Amino acid sequence: MTAQVRVPKDPTVPLWRAAVLLRVLTLLFAAVVVVTYLDEYARPWLALVTIGVMAGWTGVVSARYLRPTDRLLGFTVADLAVSCAAMSASRLVLTPEQLAGGSTPLVTTVWVTGVVAAGAVGGGPTVGAVFGGVVSAFNYGVRGYVDIDLTRDLFLLVGVGFVLGLAAASSRRSAERLARALRVEAATAERERLARSIHDSVLQVLARVRRRGAELGAGGEAVELARLAGEQEIALRTLVSTAPGTTGEDDTADLAARLRLLATGRAEVSVPATEVRLPATVAAELESVVAEALANVVRHAGPDARAWVLLEDLGTEVVVSVRDDGVGIAPGRLAEAEREGRLGIASSMRGRIADLGGTIAVETEPGAGVEWELKVPRASR
Amino acid sequence: MGAEGTEGISVMVVDDHPMWRDGVARDLVERGFEVRATAGDEAAAVRIAGTVRPDVVLMDLNLGTGSGVTAIGEITGALPATRVLVLSASGEHADVLEAVKAGASGYLVKSASVEELVDAVRRTAAGDAVFTPGLAGLVLGEYRRMAAAPPGDGLPSVTQRETEVLRLVAKGLTARQIASRLRLSHRTVENHVQSTLRKLQLHNRVELARYAIEHGLDTDPESDGGPQ
Repeated sequence: MTAQVRVPKDPTVPLWRAAVLLRVLTLLFAAVVVVTYLDEYARPWLALVTIGVMAGWTGVVSARYLRPTDRLLGFTVADLAVSCAAMSASRLVLTPEQLAGGSTPLVTTVWVTGVVAAGAVGGGPTVGAVFGGVVSAFNYGVRGYVDIDLTRDLFLLVGVGFVLGLAAASSRRSAERLARALRVEAATAERERLARSIHDSVLQVLARVRRRGAELGAGGEAVELARLAGEQEIALRTLVSTAPGTTGEDDTADLAARLRLLATGRAEVSVPATEVRLPATVAAELESVVAEALANVVRHAGPDARAWVLLEDLGTEVVVSVRDDGVGIAPGRLAEAEREGRLGIASSMRGRIADLGGTIAVETEPGAGVEWELKVPRASR
Repeated sequence: MGAEGTEGISVMVVDDHPMWRDGVARDLVERGFEVRATAGDEAAAVRIAGTVRPDVVLMDLNLGTGSGVTAIGEITGALPATRVLVLSASGEHADVLEAVKAGASGYLVKSASVEELVDAVRRTAAGDAVFTPGLAGLVLGEYRRMAAAPPGDGLPSVTQRETEVLRLVAKGLTARQIASRLRLSHRTVENHVQSTLRKLQLHNRVELARYAIEHGLDTDPESDGGPQ
């Protein structure tokens, strides 16, 4: 695909920026808390060291998270370790009374929320929730008891990790969808441009050649040229007017578009105006069975035989009819071939349709052509 | 070399490609039709058709300026005696269906032979619906789609017999072959085919009217600006 597509930048960039901002603001808050309680701590110097380490680490992670180009999971785990270590330092900083009282915050305070946010944005809801759980576990451990306040923190941390993770994951998904949609759109536009230009030039000339050639002489070389031009005209028209049989996001394909590509000068294909979406594998199998039936018409039905393909969508099932006006098959010949174990067309087609849970019926008489009817149920959606 | 039954049938050819348009016009004149006018775009087609009032308008759907569907609606709406036969590239699916719903009474692929074209124009002038297997497949699909939608009150639907006939047309059987297979008269088969087309066009008009009522008359009739 040569069309230029502007691929959206990493959709989580704004989330990373917010996570870094949260980290910086909570660091400032932690610093204020440390200054406030400095005189009451058991080891004030360790509090200052911890804040220093937190400030340095905040600088490191900010630089790293603001350009989230590489794989980050390893780094966020390191982030988690450092954050929990800083948290654990509170065990030595605070006096036993402060630890047990619950009114004096840990040195890290809400700064540890930052690593939960980072884990969530980088790794999704599960990683976010796990990070929240780990931080909460350290919270319990450092305090040395379990109470309602700490448990509330657990819910908040796990919840924030989960929700932020979901937001990051879904924005990644929608960015992927957008990129894919943009690519398809560009391809379609290119195709339409091509179709228009072919329609306006080559097709008009081919059509004219065919018509004049047919008029110039009965049975002569001109007629043969006209026929060739006509065949190419039909093939080209079908090609440029048929949308690519795109496999959709949900792994389905439009059987109508695929069958239309089988049209030739001798085979006419009739389909509904709307798409007939089927699982891509089912559509491919049906298309190939129809192609096989048409190939059989060319081989056995006689030089002047024409064929018609009709696709009908009945909602609960899809019906494809393939009919030709050729020489037909003598009664019993199909069954005979099958009985003798020769892998004739019938048994091969029958087996493939049966694999799709469908049925195949054939009607033929010598001189009256062959008519296949394939019915395949739609899997309940 | 005039063909039988073409005398006195007036035709207008609409196509934006002069080479094709003039070629078709010449073919028709040679076969004894009266080509009253040609046009290269939708606006001219509507204007000229109103003046020359042909029996049959032979209409390309790929007009560069538009799909031709609007012009078909306007022509068949203003000139009840004029019939529109769409002559178009094969596979212009949605367009062909829209053209037929807008009032075209037949469709022929551009790759058809001159004889097929002459026959189609003659039958169109006589009031028959000219169906290719491709068009039958489209109409059949459209009825199936409408049947799957919630039932519209009073909207026409096809009978079982009509569906049967449509399927056989889509499978490439001629009216005569269908008649013999279903043990009907040739005329009855033709009537069934016409009927499916008429119902589809009626359905389209009812839907358009309903749309207009829902989107236009709900608001203050005094205000001339419709809802967004």
